[in-house]
This record gives sequence, structure tokens and C-alpha cells, in this order.
Amino acid sequence: MTVLKTSLRNFFAHKGRMILSGIAVLLSVAFVCGTLVFTDTMDHTFDKLFNDSAADVTISAKEIDDAQDNGKVATVPVTLLEKAKRIEGVKAAYLDVSSDKITVVDSDNDNIGPTSGAPTVGVNWQESDRNPLELSSGRLAKGPGEAVLDKDTADKKDVEIGDTLKVIAIPGTFEVKVTGIASFTATNPGATLVIFDTPTAQAKLLGSTKETVEVDLDAAAGVSNDELKKNVLAALGSDYDVKTQSETADDAADDLGSFFDFMKYAMLAFALVSVIVGIFLIVNTFSMLVTQRTREIGLLRAVGASRKQVNRSVLVEAVLLGVVGSLLGIASGIGLAVGLMKLMGKAGMHLSTSDLTIKVSTPLIGLVLGVVVTVLAAYLPARRAGKVSPMAALRDAGTPADGKSGKVRAALGLLITGVGGAGLVLATTEDDGGVAGQYLGLGILLTLIGFIVIGPLLASVVVRVLGFLGLRVFGAVGRMAERNALRNPRRTGATAAALMIGLALVSGLAVVSSSMVASATDELDKSVGADFIVGSDMGQPLAPQVTQAVVAAKGKLDHITNFRSVNAKVTTPGGKDEKGTLEATDPTYMQDVRTKAVAGDLATVYNTVNTVSVPEGFAEDNELKVGDKLTVAFVEGKTATLRIAAITADDTMLSHGARFISTATMERNLPEDKRPLAEIMLASAKDGQEDQAYTVLKQNLEEYPQVKVRDQADYKKVLEDQVGQLLNLVYGLLGLAIVVAILGVVNTLALSVVERTREIGLIRAIGMSRLQTRRMIRLESVVISLFGAILGLGLGLAWGIAAQKLMELGGLKVLEIPWATIAYVFVGSAVVGLLAAVIPAYRAGRMNVLNAIATD
Amino acid sequence: MTTVVATAQTEGSGGHTAVAARTRQVTKAYGSGETRVVALDNVDVDIARGRFTAIMGPSGSGKSTLMHCLAGLDSVTEGRIWIGESEITKLNDRKLTRLRRDKIGFIFQAFNLLPTLSAAENITLPMDIAGRKPDREWLDRVVETVGLGGRLKHRPNQLSGGQQQRVAVARALAARPEIIFGDEPTGNLDSRAGAEILGFLRRSVDELGQTIVMVTHDPVAASYADRVLFLADGRIVDEMHNPTAEAVLERMLRFTASETAQPGHPSTSQFGSGRTA
Repeated sequence: MTVLKTSLRNFFAHKGRMILSGIAVLLSVAFVCGTLVFTDTMDHTFDKLFNDSAADVTISAKEIDDAQDNGKVATVPVTLLEKAKRIEGVKAAYLDVSSDKITVVDSDNDNIGPTSGAPTVGVNWQESDRNPLELSSGRLAKGPGEAVLDKDTADKKDVEIGDTLKVIAIPGTFEVKVTGIASFTATNPGATLVIFDTPTAQAKLLGSTKETVEVDLDAAAGVSNDELKKNVLAALGSDYDVKTQSETADDAADDLGSFFDFMKYAMLAFALVSVIVGIFLIVNTFSMLVTQRTREIGLLRAVGASRKQVNRSVLVEAVLLGVVGSLLGIASGIGLAVGLMKLMGKAGMHLSTSDLTIKVSTPLIGLVLGVVVTVLAAYLPARRAGKVSPMAALRDAGTPADGKSGKVRAALGLLITGVGGAGLVLATTEDDGGVAGQYLGLGILLTLIGFIVIGPLLASVVVRVLGFLGLRVFGAVGRMAERNALRNPRRTGATAAALMIGLALVSGLAVVSSSMVASATDELDKSVGADFIVGSDMGQPLAPQVTQAVVAAKGKLDHITNFRSVNAKVTTPGGKDEKGTLEATDPTYMQDVRTKAVAGDLATVYNTVNTVSVPEGFAEDNELKVGDKLTVAFVEGKTATLRIAAITADDTMLSHGARFISTATMERNLPEDKRPLAEIMLASAKDGQEDQAYTVLKQNLEEYPQVKVRDQADYKKVLEDQVGQLLNLVYGLLGLAIVVAILGVVNTLALSVVERTREIGLIRAIGMSRLQTRRMIRLESVVISLFGAILGLGLGLAWGIAAQKLMELGGLKVLEIPWATIAYVFVGSAVVGLLAAVIPAYRAGRMNVLNAIATD
Repeated sequence: MTTVVATAQTEGSGGHTAVAARTRQVTKAYGSGETRVVALDNVDVDIARGRFTAIMGPSGSGKSTLMHCLAGLDSVTEGRIWIGESEITKLNDRKLTRLRRDKIGFIFQAFNLLPTLSAAENITLPMDIAGRKPDREWLDRVVETVGLGGRLKHRPNQLSGGQQQRVAVARALAARPEIIFGDEPTGNLDSRAGAEILGFLRRSVDELGQTIVMVTHDPVAASYADRVLFLADGRIVDEMHNPTAEAVLERMLRFTASETAQPGHPSTSQFGSGRTA
């Protein structure tokens, strides 16, 4: 009991120190719980939305897997409506028309669609009570020239009743006047909705009033959805997809799922980073608490407490910390989820906090995670506490014995690092991509662990070098800072490790991504001959109007190349089949993109019918050579035998893994209405007319803001921007890792300052000024941070270089080390050190000299 | 109230006076109202230059407080203190720190040295902090005087207690301060090592002309001084010139018999150590 009482008292006596570790626990738990609450809430919200808005039974066209993207919406004949009404158990039937293959622009030709990736959807107004919309102002649209717009879009894009919008649909572009504004009765999933009357929707979105996308049925009273589905299937046969309400809702949720999965994993990555970094913080805090309390523990032991009791008393403190940290973390997690929902609101998706879903399991998971992590992290220090001998009570504590970095530890660390390093080297030399990837993963993991283990050893080397290079300028103050950073290498190592992990991840990813940009730009320079690239930023295919607008500029153009992705099932002579795409291009593609062939001739592929090229890796895996035949079943088209006329090199980023066929081959095997729209178009200007051609293309495409024409320079910029966006997530992770790492440095310094109270008193007594004392602490902090930065950047560079070498075969040919970023990170780390030292340095400077001298 | 005002032989303004430090009506009190505790009560003291002064008194007499105030480590409640010609009771922390660095040397009872610095680095620390170059010749002489020649590269934890105190003495002497304060410098040492340290202090006064003020409760240590001041209840109650250990002991025993029978005057050092880390 007494031991428990001691732990409780200790815990509360050191609550200041516990706060920092507590924040680490809090952050980890908050991210995990926040993720859970947020995704549960999303699931709940959308389940409700889809269930509320789905009809009891829906009839739609049979879904074709991997249908060609020809811009058309799969439809069923309108005649089904009357047939359906006669089916037994049907109370009412409605036409449901919708198409997300549209773009809506305002009078300035600005896209009013969402920028978040959510679609713009054109629909007919539903008279059923399941309509998720209600008119909030104006009136419903009537006739071909009118439409209603959803309120969120209207507010965001300043569209008012009476404004004219232009709808770019596949059957043709048309103008409408806004007659009303409708708002969602529940959650707006973030889409832009344009609502027409039913005939307009049919005619303008589908191209025919004889078609509809769905027929929605309401079940009569007493008829279950499943019964009704049976009746419908019995009446109409199996030519159509018939789905009950829950099936429709499930399908819709699946479609949305992948988007949320990404968010979920990104957030869990944050949680993981804070857990890992947090562990270091906790280990360090408890180590220091135990060291500080050595005398006290010795006394406990001397008066008869067993090792086990001492050990347990430290663990009890850890449990307390874990519980308090987790509880606060759970609360913060819920706050985080609410914050994210608000953020989603900014992006156009309005989630109501009244739908906040907190499952019972969420706080449980948070609590278990927080407590388990804390106790595990505190285990080693607790064991060390148990080992304190009763003699410690008698010794003059002075400063606690300086931690040694043991030889065993050094040897073990070097071994692990060595094996990890070998893994990285093997990853660069191994030819088999899969095996090389495993080497790389192993190498990254082992070098990281190795560096953590030999951290203390490296600390004594690196800190000395840093001291030699920089600290000497600061004279005695610098020397003392250096010695202080060195006096407990294990502590310095552990503190720096927290920073190291974050920086290693970031610099590794930075190397890979800048190498990506550099390689792509390099390849663009070397192999792309086309002057202009036309494509949509959202990855939508090009509508026929767009294609025409490009063709309209042909007076200034030497040639235009269409690039289409065709869905097909490919069967090798060996009998292996796989679903995939073939890239159909025009003969001029030869000049636009110079793809390297290792065998055969690509000109044959582009210029002849029923020939194909395959990439080197695919050819090797299936033992294919030029002249072999592939059986290709074009989805919604014919099955043809294509002769391999060329094998392309794999070391390309632009055409990696592409199987080319000619446009003619595509046309021969697909009926006209099933041919996919062009994904991108490439064009080259007539000699000397590059500028005029660019201007004309831009003018022609002005009406289609969803599509951009870019010359090579602009295209490079886009590539860089895209990679830059990916990097933002990485920087987010970095930010979090740094926050936790700062806590760690603050923690270490604060404890060091307390430990060195007498020393600080002494140096103040013999004439060191407050400023100098503070500078000493700050320099120590900067040295520790820079040490962490050097280790992290070093590791990250090694990882990044190994990854680049590994992906060289896949086209990542240019190694680009982002020195500027690395320099920023390095300088940033020094700033981190300064920031972390603010409070500890202030306290050191303010310390009362007399009290400090008298402390024992 | 102070019965004996220990005055210096000469007084005057400007130039080199014979007074290294002095206090006038110095009062140091802790707390207020009911809980007010007076550690120093109207103390007037002159410390003669080039002499070795010991301050003695029973526990709680205020001897450490007096030294801390004289040395600019602690502030006074009332009264004025001068080190040489400069009054230190009006100085802010920055100027006090500089004063301590440039004009005062310290020898504490224990924990005199920074564990991360070698003996040599500890000795030159005040000058290093000030960014001054130590006077090599002087340094060598000091090191020789305290007999540390072969141990300059050692860290404090590689030195015995006596050696550590010798380093502390060397550090106090190295910067040639106007005055050195010792707070029970031999309190942690056995009598042989203590005698050595006291011998060095004595020699530095005799041979180097150093001014030393030492707080002690050991009559033998006090007998090395030129003059002993006796404190009781925050007042100077007696003084003794050219003391012998026996005479000092005899004087101290009189305190034990009478004046210290009353409790309620905790010593400053206990004040400080009342809180533990």
C-alpha cells in the first residue's frame, strides 16, 4: 500500500513533468480516436443519406464490368415505367435520371463544380418524398432552358436566380437559366447538383427522351423490398439490375469508401507517428524520473521495499499517466473529429455534428492503446528502478551518475545498422523488383532500429564535431553546452531519436519525390516531342466538344494525336488472362512520345491493324517475343488476335507498363458507340507557329474550364505541383513529429535543468550571467536538435537514394537530392532547438542562486 | 544594538583603502508580520584588506547569511554594503553577476566544481565566462601553491575531496579577486586535508596579499584567521584578533551555555535546504 501511495504522491508531485509525456499519449490517442469517430460518423451519415434517398426497389441497366468510358450513361428504356407500375406490390414508380459526366460553367466560363474531387451531377427533380432536396427559393425548372442549383454551390460560387449557366454534357452543350435554389435536407455529400425537369434531363443529359437511368419503385403497404424485388424480377426477367434499398445504399457506400479509406489511412499514419515518437518521450521521461529519484528509491529499498515493489510503483505511475493521457486523448479525438467535419464543410461536404457517432469501442480502443503504450514504454526504466541498490540512499547524490553507452549496445547497434545498410545496398543491386522492395523495407527498418540503438554512441561523436564546428565560438558557454549534451549520451540519443524518425521519413520521401519530378521532367525533355498536351485535371475523359475545339485549331497545327485507354481482357499464349487496358493511339504518336523499343518496331504497332506492343517485364513474365499472338477480348466489343510487333523498355515513367495498339485496331474491334473518349490529346504546332498555336488552342478551350492545354513548360509545372500536393501530407506528418519531438527536447532540458540546479547555482555564483546561463541551455538544446537532424537527414538520404536506385528500372532514372529542403530542415531543426529551450532556459536563468547552492 | 563595531584602521574615499568590504546597518529578514524572522539585525562590519577574517557563530546565528549578503549572492532588507568602493546593495542582477565574476572568489563547502569540466577548466572558468585571457604566470603560481600540478586534466570525480577543494581554492585565487569568500570550505574534509586547505588560504593572504572572509563553525579553522567575528542572533556580539583554537572554542562554549538556548532563528542554509528536489 505504501508503495502505491508513494507512486501516487510521486505522480502528483511531478505532474509538471508528466504533462509533456501526457501530451504525447494524448496526441496518439487523439489521432486514433479522432480517426475512428470521424470515419464512423461519415459511415453513419452516408448510410443514412443513401438509405433515405434510395428507392425501395431500383431498376437500372445491367452493370458491365470495366465498361469503355465513352462518356455515356447506361440507360434503360422509359417504357419500363409503365410496365413497372403494373407489377404487383408497386405503389408508385418514378423516372430517375442522373449523369455525373457533365461540367457546368458560369457566364465567365468558370467551372462551378466542386474542387474537392466530388462530382458535378445533373438530375431530374424527383416528386417522391425520398428526394434529398427541398426548394429553398425560386421555383422548379420547367422546360429545356431552366435549372435549379443546389444552395451550397450557389452560395460558394455566387450564382443567383436569373443567372445563366452553361452545361457541357456529352450529347451537347446547352444553356439554362437558374430558376430556383434547392438545399439538402440532410447532409450534402459535397457534390454540385443541377436539377432539371424530367424531359430536359432525359433529352439533354442522355440524348433521348425514350431513355432513363433508373426506374424507382415505392413498395405498397405490407410489401417488403425483397418481395417487391422478386416480383420485379419475375415480371421483367433478368435483363436489368434490380436492387433493393439496402443494396443500392451499400453500392453507393462502396463507391465512396475508397475516398474515405485514403483519409483513414492518412490519419492513422499520423497516429502511428505520434505513437512512435511518443514512446521515446515516455521512455525518456521515466528514465529521468527514475534517475532523479535514485536516492529515494534506495531509501525505499533500504527500509525493506522489494525490487518488485519498486518496479511496480513506477509502472503504477505509468498506468496513471496512460489513463489520464488517454482520457484526455479520447476527448481531444472527438474534438479532432468535429474539427475535421468542419474542415470537410469548408471543402463543401456538410456534416452535421448531431450525427456524431461514437461507438463504445472507440474510447475502449483509445484507453487500451494509451495505457499499453505507456506501460510498455515505462517498462525498461521501471526495471532499472528495481535494480537500484539500497546503497544508493547513502551515496552523495550530487549529479546522478552519467549514463554510459555500453559496449554491448554499441556492438549490437552497429550489427543491426550494418545488416540494414547491406539491405539498402542489396535493394539497389537486386534485379527482381519484388525482392528488392523487401530488401529496401528491411533495410529501412533495420537502419532505423540500428540508429536508435547506437544513438548514444553517435551522440558523443556528432556532438563533439558540432562543438568543434560551431560551439567554440561561444567560448566557455559553448564548451559547457557541449559537455552537458555529452554527459548523458543515452538521454541525448533518445531525445534526438524522436526528431530523427520524423526527419528521416520526410527527407527520404523528399528525395524520392524530387527524383520523381526530375526524372519525369528529364523524360519529358528527352522523349516527348509533342508541343501541347490537352487533358483534364480531374482525370475525366475529353468530351466530344473538347475534341472538336482542339481539331478546330488544326490550321496552326502540324498534327493531333488522340490517346485512349481501352478496357479489355488479355490472354497470353500460355493461357494466362488478365483484365487491363490497352493504349490506343494514332500513328503520329511516334513523333509525340519517343518510346524505346527493346525489340520490334513501334511504328508497326501505331500504323497497322491488330498489332500490339507489350512492356519488357510483361514479356519476360509470360515468355513472349515479337511475333507471338495475344488474344484480346475488347469489353463490349470483339475478341481479336493481336500480334506482338514491339516490346517496350520498362525504364520509363510516362509509358510504364503501357500496351499500345493503333486507333485503327481499336476502331476495328469496338462498335462506334462503345469507343472510349480520348483521355488526352497531344498536338504539335506547325514550324514557327508554336506561339500562335498555343494561343488558338487556349482560346478554343476557354469554354471548357475542366480541360487544360499545356505546353511542355507548363506541363512540367503541373507535374511538380502534383508531387507537391503529395508532399503536403508528408509535411503534415513532419509537423506532427516535430511537435512531439519538441516536447521531448523540452522534457529533457527541463529535467536536466532541475538536475543541475546546484551546478547552475555554482556558475551563477562565480559570475555567469543569466543571459549566459540561458544561452548555455539553448546551445545544448540546439546541439541535441541538430544531432537529431543530422541522423534523420542522413538516414532519410540513404533511404531515398536506395529507393531511387530501386525504382531506376521503373523509370526513376534521375536522382535529385533536394538540397534546399534539406538545408531548410537543418536550419529548422536549430530553430526547433531554440524553441524547445525557451522555457527551460528561462527557468535556469531565473533560478535563485542561494537555493541552487543549497539544494542537495 | 550591535555591541562591537568592527572598524577598520583607516577610512577614506577614493584610492586604495584598507577596507575590502563593509556593511552599514544591514538587516536581513524573512517573511513579515507574525512570521517575520530576522537573520541579520543592524550589522556593521568592516573587512580589512589583505587580512584573513573568520565569521563564527552557532547554527542560526546568521553567519552564512552575512557572507551571502557580503558576496552579493543574497539581497538585504535594509542597510548598505560596499565591496571596495562600490556599493552593491543598489546593483541589479546583471551588475551583481559581473561583480561576482570579476571581483569575488568563492569556495563552497561542497560541490564547488562543474563535473563536466577538467580541473584546469574549472580553475579558469570565471575568466572564460568573462572572455578574459588568464594570466599564465599567475595561474602557474597559483596551481603550484595549491600543489595541483599533475592533476589539471582530471575531472572532479577523479579527484579526492581535498583535491577538489584545492581546485576550488585555485579557482578563487586565479582571477585575483578583491575578496574571496569561503563558506565552510573545510566542512567536508578530514582534519589533515582541511589543514592543508587552510594553510593555502593563510599563505595566499601572507604571500599574495589576498583578502579572505571565511564562515566556519570549527575553532581550529578559525584559528588560521587574523580576526574572528562572532555572530549570535543576527548580531555581531564579539570579535577576537589573532585567535587561537582554544580561545575561540572557549568563546563558542559560552554561546552554547547562554545565547543559543533560544530557538527560532533558523540559519539561512537551512532555509535553502528546506526544499528538496
